[in-house]
Amino acid sequence: MNDADSLLRATGVRKSFGGVEVLHGVDLHLSRGETLALLGENGAGKSTLVKIIAGDYSADAGSIALRGEDVGTLDPVRARRLGIRMIFQELSDAGPLTVAENIFLGRYAARHGIVSWREMNRLAQGVLDSLEADFDASRKVESLRVGERQLVEIARALSDEAQILILDEPTAALSSAEVDKLFAAIRRLRDRGVGMVYITHRLDEVAQVADRVQVLRDGVSALDHPVADVTRSEMVTAMIGRSAQSVRRPTPPEHLSESPALCVRGLTSDGFFTGIDFDVQAGEVLALYGKVGSGTAEIAEALFGLHPTSAGSVIVEDAPYVPKSPADAVHHGIGFLPADRQRAGTMAIRPVAENLAAPSWRRMSTWGVVRRSTEATAYATWQKALAIRSRRDPMQPIGTLSGGNQQKVLLARWFERGARVLVLIEPTRGVDVGAREDIYRTLRTKAAEDGLAVLVATSDYEEVVQLADRALVIAKGQVVGALGGELVTTTALTAAAGG
Amino acid sequence: MNEPHAVSLTRDGSDAMDATETQTTTTPASSPDAGRPRRGRPVPELAGLVVVLVVLVVFFAVKSPYFMGADNILNILTAIAVVGIIAVPGTMLLVAGQVDLSVGSGAAFCGVLLATQVDRIGLGGAVVLVLVAGLAIGAINGALVNVINVNSLITTLGMLAVLRGLTELMADGQTAIISGFETLGTARPLGIPLPVVVFAVVVVIGVLLMRYSVFGRSLYAIGANPVAARLVGIRTKWALFTTFVLSGFAVAIAGLILTSQLSAASPVAAQGLELTVVTAVVLGGASLSGGRGTILGTLLGLVIIGVLNNGLTLLNINSFWQDVARGVLLILAVSFDQLRQRLSPTN
Repeated sequence: MNDADSLLRATGVRKSFGGVEVLHGVDLHLSRGETLALLGENGAGKSTLVKIIAGDYSADAGSIALRGEDVGTLDPVRARRLGIRMIFQELSDAGPLTVAENIFLGRYAARHGIVSWREMNRLAQGVLDSLEADFDASRKVESLRVGERQLVEIARALSDEAQILILDEPTAALSSAEVDKLFAAIRRLRDRGVGMVYITHRLDEVAQVADRVQVLRDGVSALDHPVADVTRSEMVTAMIGRSAQSVRRPTPPEHLSESPALCVRGLTSDGFFTGIDFDVQAGEVLALYGKVGSGTAEIAEALFGLHPTSAGSVIVEDAPYVPKSPADAVHHGIGFLPADRQRAGTMAIRPVAENLAAPSWRRMSTWGVVRRSTEATAYATWQKALAIRSRRDPMQPIGTLSGGNQQKVLLARWFERGARVLVLIEPTRGVDVGAREDIYRTLRTKAAEDGLAVLVATSDYEEVVQLADRALVIAKGQVVGALGGELVTTTALTAAAGG
Repeated sequence: MNEPHAVSLTRDGSDAMDATETQTTTTPASSPDAGRPRRGRPVPELAGLVVVLVVLVVFFAVKSPYFMGADNILNILTAIAVVGIIAVPGTMLLVAGQVDLSVGSGAAFCGVLLATQVDRIGLGGAVVLVLVAGLAIGAINGALVNVINVNSLITTLGMLAVLRGLTELMADGQTAIISGFETLGTARPLGIPLPVVVFAVVVVIGVLLMRYSVFGRSLYAIGANPVAARLVGIRTKWALFTTFVLSGFAVAIAGLILTSQLSAASPVAAQGLELTVVTAVVLGGASLSGGRGTILGTLLGLVIIGVLNNGLTLLNINSFWQDVARGVLLILAVSFDQLRQRLSPTN
């Protein structure tokens, strides 16, 4: 590739957060009309790198050049002006406004301060047509499906002549038809000379949309090749730093009880999942593996009374159980870890001991009275057992702990409660590597020693390999594969999930 | 951790990983000594209020010879008793992230209900009716908020108007005189006015509930994060409903005391009472976003408001200035709290 075609060149980018360097001098290059797939595990530095390119973060060292010219430090406004657009995984559109308004947000077609709706709708429809989107520009965005909203975001970027488009896992929540449409839009953009950085976890997408693939691992570039020259297993090896086969599997539990701790039959929720059957033995860790939107999270939520079901039965420790409400689920000995720690997990301003003890208050109380000292004792016990790093102060607000330590507290609350079945959704999302290993080890130990049954709903195949005794692969709300023992490998998982 | 199960990764990057882990280990471990003095425990929040109270008391004591007299102190407490009885459940609601604006018109409604029904069903019957009405008002508020999911600000704002209108209709726009019901408002067992005794009892119950009971702790959890509170198994709707019912009951008691003190029930009584309640509760350190606040803080807020009103009256200052002073105090207190939160690393 010659320099005339060079669109973006980042050289030697370094970035630290709180004294820990997460990017150790990374190079990234993009030519006109090129699509670069950027791969890497959670925490490898992908999002930090693209956020630096989009001006959200400033690099500690290194330089960024656009069309061969050094641009110095970028801020979001300047990055936009230079034609760099980022399309986030979580859509940042304004739901109550129309498609046209969203596309031209902040730069409405106006004459003398009066918005010309007709002109705006006409322009917007033009952009949508060029993407072969089959919806009307005057529709409200909130009435569109996720895939359509994604196209609106892309249309927005296109309408103001973006040169460089960064897509952060755009297909995570899309159906396969929507994915096809998105890929068609991407190819059309490529033909116009737009350069794209495409972040994904799905290896099969790489060959479909990308020209070149770059893998980040622990903040360094581990692989950078044209897609045609790389095999799938080379990509996996580059991502996890060892060949997929050599991942150490957990030791299987020695003896499992006869009757399962959790028995699910024909569980159905219209539009989310159908006919789900599985058992979790006491002492066993079962993973429900599937992409975001496959239904794994909804199945887990249904078991905790958070998601309505239309058919099926659940048995918890030999007693039939109808998941009605979280309070009811807790009463039946089920513990739950939500996917979104901030929103649904922690009571951030309340003391850490209180966060830990809350599900056990009834049990800890005499005559409806809970003593702070009882809570403090419980906290001290679990702080030690799970190596929770905090001040020794049980009154410290949980919001001041690191993500991994918060997550440990949220797990410990169910150990303290004496839950027999744990239902966890994405248990190590946003958790640093050290704490992640602690959490896996703790769950394995608790399962093995106390006969806890653990169900993990996750979209992280590596989590499945490191944590689970068995895995069910879920796609479009149905069980499409079951893997056990040595057969639980990253390749088998991604293959069964359809990439 | 005992006997780590072999989940460990034997990867080539393990050295780098260990380094990160030690870093995260040492940072918090070395900070407690350095960090402790800066981090605010709940105590300093109230310390600011105590300072304000002391300054006010010293100022008025110097300016007026009557201020520190035992009678005047009882006057102050009597003056805040009615508001205070309502402010205790008011604190509980705000801690849980809710607000009840119907308390003022609710108190007037209860008073007029008593005065208009006493001839028909006798004093005892009328008092029971008023208490039931208070519980019913609370239950309606609680049901609207929890079952139909109307925001409590809106629900109780609507209820404020409804109750005030019903009160006027019931009283036919007239103040109703009631005789033979003076004891509750004016009796002085052991020299202490009965309303103050009732207020003290309500405060003690409130402190015990909020500090030690599972119920009170649940309210803090709900206020801090309603979703998370539900997911730890707290029956959040039930707890909130109960608190609204308690608020309605307190309103009935306050309405009875108010009527007894005046020997009359006016349909325009207790106007703006809800705002005084919110002022006292917020002054006492409760957060409008929930999860923070104490009954003792509210008590301190009430006493400050009481002292301010009483002192300014003793100094013969126009009562409109009292409103101004109370407003300024509230804004100062909340601004101070914002500053404190911004400075503390917790938030």
